[in-house]
Amino acid sequence: MGTKKIRAEYDNEETTDVFQKAEALGLSKPDLVWMYEVMVETRHFEEMATTLYGLGKVHGTMHLSIGQEAVAAGTGLARKASDYLLNHHRGHGHFIASGADVNKMMAEFLGKDTGFCRGRGGSMHIADVSANILGAQGIVGAQMGIAPGVGMAIKMKKTDQIALVIFGDGAANRGVFQESLNMSSIWDLPVVYLCENNHYGMSAEVERVSGKVPFRDRAEALGVPGYFIDGNDVLAVYEFMKNAFDHARSGAGPVFVETETYRILGHSKSDRNLYRSKEEINNWKEKDPIQRFKKLLLEGDVITEDQIEDIEKKMTKVIDDAVTFAENSPEPNIEDVTEYVYA
Amino acid sequence: MPIPFIMPKMDMDQEEVFIDQWLKKEGDFIEKGEPVIIVETDKITSEVEAPASGTLARLLYQENETAPVTKVVAYILVEGETEADLPVLEISQDEKPVETAQSEISISEKPIAATALAMRIAKAENIDLNDVPSKGEKITKEDIDAYLAAKPNKHRVETPATPAARRIASENRINLKTIEGTGPRSRVQAVDIQGALDQKTRQAQTISSLEPIELTSMRRRISDRLTTSYQTIPHIFLTVEVDMVRAESFRKQLNETATDQGMQKISLTTILVKVISGCLTKHHFLNAFLEDKKIHFWDDVNIGIATALDSGLIVPVIHHADKLSFQEINQKVKTLSEKAREDLLTREEILGGTFTISNLGMYGITSFTSIINPPQSAILSVGAIKRRPVVVDEEDSINVRPMMNLTLAADHRIVDGAVAANFLVDLVDTLENPASLKELK
Amino acid sequence: MPEITLRQAIHDAIIEEMRRDSTVFIMGEDIGAYGGAFGVTAGILEEFGTERVWETPISEETIVDSAVGAAMVGMRPVAELMFMDFMGVAMDPLINQAAKARYMFGGKATIPMVLRMPNGSGTGAAAQHSQSLETILMHIPGLKVVAPSTPYDAKGLLLSAIRDPNPVCFLEHKLLYKSKGEVPDGEYTIPLGVADVKREGTDLTIVTSEIMVHKSLSAAEEVIKEGISVEIIDPRTLQPLDVDTITQSVMKTGRLLVVHEAVKTAGWAGEIMASVSESPAWDYLDAPMRRLAGLDVPIPYNRLLERASVPQEEDIIREIRAIVNNQY
Repeated sequence: MGTKKIRAEYDNEETTDVFQKAEALGLSKPDLVWMYEVMVETRHFEEMATTLYGLGKVHGTMHLSIGQEAVAAGTGLARKASDYLLNHHRGHGHFIASGADVNKMMAEFLGKDTGFCRGRGGSMHIADVSANILGAQGIVGAQMGIAPGVGMAIKMKKTDQIALVIFGDGAANRGVFQESLNMSSIWDLPVVYLCENNHYGMSAEVERVSGKVPFRDRAEALGVPGYFIDGNDVLAVYEFMKNAFDHARSGAGPVFVETETYRILGHSKSDRNLYRSKEEINNWKEKDPIQRFKKLLLEGDVITEDQIEDIEKKMTKVIDDAVTFAENSPEPNIEDVTEYVYA
Repeated sequence: MPIPFIMPKMDMDQEEVFIDQWLKKEGDFIEKGEPVIIVETDKITSEVEAPASGTLARLLYQENETAPVTKVVAYILVEGETEADLPVLEISQDEKPVETAQSEISISEKPIAATALAMRIAKAENIDLNDVPSKGEKITKEDIDAYLAAKPNKHRVETPATPAARRIASENRINLKTIEGTGPRSRVQAVDIQGALDQKTRQAQTISSLEPIELTSMRRRISDRLTTSYQTIPHIFLTVEVDMVRAESFRKQLNETATDQGMQKISLTTILVKVISGCLTKHHFLNAFLEDKKIHFWDDVNIGIATALDSGLIVPVIHHADKLSFQEINQKVKTLSEKAREDLLTREEILGGTFTISNLGMYGITSFTSIINPPQSAILSVGAIKRRPVVVDEEDSINVRPMMNLTLAADHRIVDGAVAANFLVDLVDTLENPASLKELK
Repeated sequence: MPEITLRQAIHDAIIEEMRRDSTVFIMGEDIGAYGGAFGVTAGILEEFGTERVWETPISEETIVDSAVGAAMVGMRPVAELMFMDFMGVAMDPLINQAAKARYMFGGKATIPMVLRMPNGSGTGAAAQHSQSLETILMHIPGLKVVAPSTPYDAKGLLLSAIRDPNPVCFLEHKLLYKSKGEVPDGEYTIPLGVADVKREGTDLTIVTSEIMVHKSLSAAEEVIKEGISVEIIDPRTLQPLDVDTITQSVMKTGRLLVVHEAVKTAGWAGEIMASVSESPAWDYLDAPMRRLAGLDVPIPYNRLLERASVPQEEDIIREIRAIVNNQY
């Protein structure tokens, strides 16, 4: 029972030699450092988010992806800026990996007028349509339904873009999963489905709430090639996502990639982790993707301890500056509350 | 600078936590991420981790105390710092007593005990909760309902009316309560207000904005007398047209003579008085009165002449007119009208009339009716002489003639229509026949 | 002017707009060779091919979601739900995606899409294929709702709807597809949010839409024989709603009746009345505002029951008389 038990091995082999792997993938040293920086930046952003929340500076709630940064970094590197991104509610990392301005993210987080959504969306709805970031969803999995439409538009416009839609294991159990993959499949739409399996839909453990067929097999059943990979292995994520993008871009139709990772923190700020053990959390902390990648980078002599320290300092400053920017930004005008309902 | 240990907020709507246990004491070294406090919120116990590494200092809240979230609960001294580096104590401790004081104030200002629902109803109905008697400890919805039921006029709207009716009433300053509604459930509708408005307009036509005038004694008398006359005497009205061409020329002759003799010009009234009194001697019913179900006749012919004054109407009388000459009558008419205007008429001069003439010809009135002046049996209304084309012979020749209308009002109890007609025929004949007029001399 | 059916008018609007604007495309179930469940899209596949005619699987949620997605990246989808009832399957895309994207993303997204939905009873299709659910849509800020009653209005309004930068729900009453009316040759548009006075009168204002406009017009012809003069306002778009035209009419007649096929409870008649209450027209009302609407029942199958469940001409006549003669 459960996905774990019936699941086959990862489709990827664990990366042990970063140098060899990077060479095989055609990645340069700056590419590797970039991914590491994105992961660190995301971690700092979310830790700061927690701090700000603790200080009572955040009005709403937030969904943190601590422990899942490798999925975002690997995918972000594989994605072209012209590709559309349809994100989920736990998507800070994907935005940062897509090059979103953390100042505007932080400002949106604090509900400020300078935020991505001018304070209308908050942490859960960050979007930057002009940069092809079509927003994050508060309705779990709704982005799966939207994606074929984006794919259709790309086909009609005859561009070489693709639509990347990211959702979690919780969303994958929704009916729209079947509708969306089927539609993309019958029309060979350029849509890449990234299922970021972090083991929990709120408190619902994936093994408890998902049927006997793994998500990858469900995709395959709809004619969509499916892969299941280690989501905490940033290079594996890059490799499979790059292949997926190439496949979709070639006109061969949609691809499905499931990345296994772990949500270290609770679902949202009100989560007390009553449904899982400390041991389980600690076990996964051991597999922290940042530590894992750092070790590889150091062992492969890609980076030095000093450079690691510099990156820490740099990212601390980036996030501190973002907070300063956000805190110094004005609140939205109350008079404008009805603006943007209609175009 | 020591790092403030801030109690983190864990829930969106959370304001405070209950400190179960400090896992570390002041002076203990703590590491970032290490659990330091066990707190309770909504029956759930959570660990609060150290926000930074250092020496724990100045615990501001003790175990079993409630601490506010997002506020400092302790400090962390980093390497090289001592308690001396902590911020001045008053600042942080001041917060607590102030908050306590605030909460005490809010307790003492607790409103009258009432359920939330009762309070809401009271607010909506504008009820002072102090006025509402309560059956239990708290005022309930039932108490409010009972209070409202006991209150008279619990309906805010006393007169049902449509919005349109209210608007029109308000625009025209009409009191809705005075309007009878014809709509369902006696609802006042626009049409009802419109009816009232039309009535008001009619009233506005008779009642001017002028100050009302008290009736003078004279007017009261006139009023009473005319009202009695009009209500008790069955009036009949007969109108006849007179060609005054000969009467006019006759009066001209008279006047020429009068001027030659250095006397007053003869007025039309004089001519009429003379002619009428002559006729009355032949038509007794027009010179009679009713008493005890009997018709009584007068010997004398005393002609009253209705005279308009500023203060009202007065009818001086030319006694024995049938026996007076044109000149005599003319003199009397003149004297009496002057005296009337100067309010010098004696009682005798206004009493004893047996027939009245009312002449509005000088105002251009061509025809009108008058009310009989009791106990007389008739009154003659004299219209203006107007020159207009009339058929003057059997060949239908048309001539312009001075024409005059006479309208006789007669008491039908005394005078029949034919009787009245005969009188008028006689009168017209005399006026139109110069020979007869001359006889009257 | 030539007389064409409402079906033809909608067809013409779509095909003319597809010829004019290459970003316009249609999607929905059986809209290709079949021509759509009601034949509206017949012939469009032949002209434009599968590239602009997307015949979807039975996936209402993803049809509407995809329309949102395509619209967000610059296309102008005209999607069809075979029956308005099926919008129940697609409520998330409507209320949480189409209606929210622009606001929630701080004005950065634009969703120029049209969702066509045949509605209404009278075809014996029973409870799940006969509803008029427009009020639900009116309740969602961000959506526009159009409900035409004539071929002329349908064509002009659909062109405006396709060109509108917002998600527009476009209702098509099934019994009106065959109704004919004059439609000029050539392009014309009718702005969204402008009501039409379908008949002028002095004694009572009827606000109504779609097929009830026609039933009300017939009723008005009947009561004029008794000297009752009825004014009929067709809002044409229910969101945005042209409250001004309605209040002006009520200020003239002093009486208001709202007629709709949608069920009475929490139906849009209440919205019209509330708007009148809040307007200067309140002070001109000389009778309680009344509504005549579908009964609070699912649409039944049996012909007599079906007829009884929504307002008919005789019901409208009865209601007009009652209001004007104070017999309510």
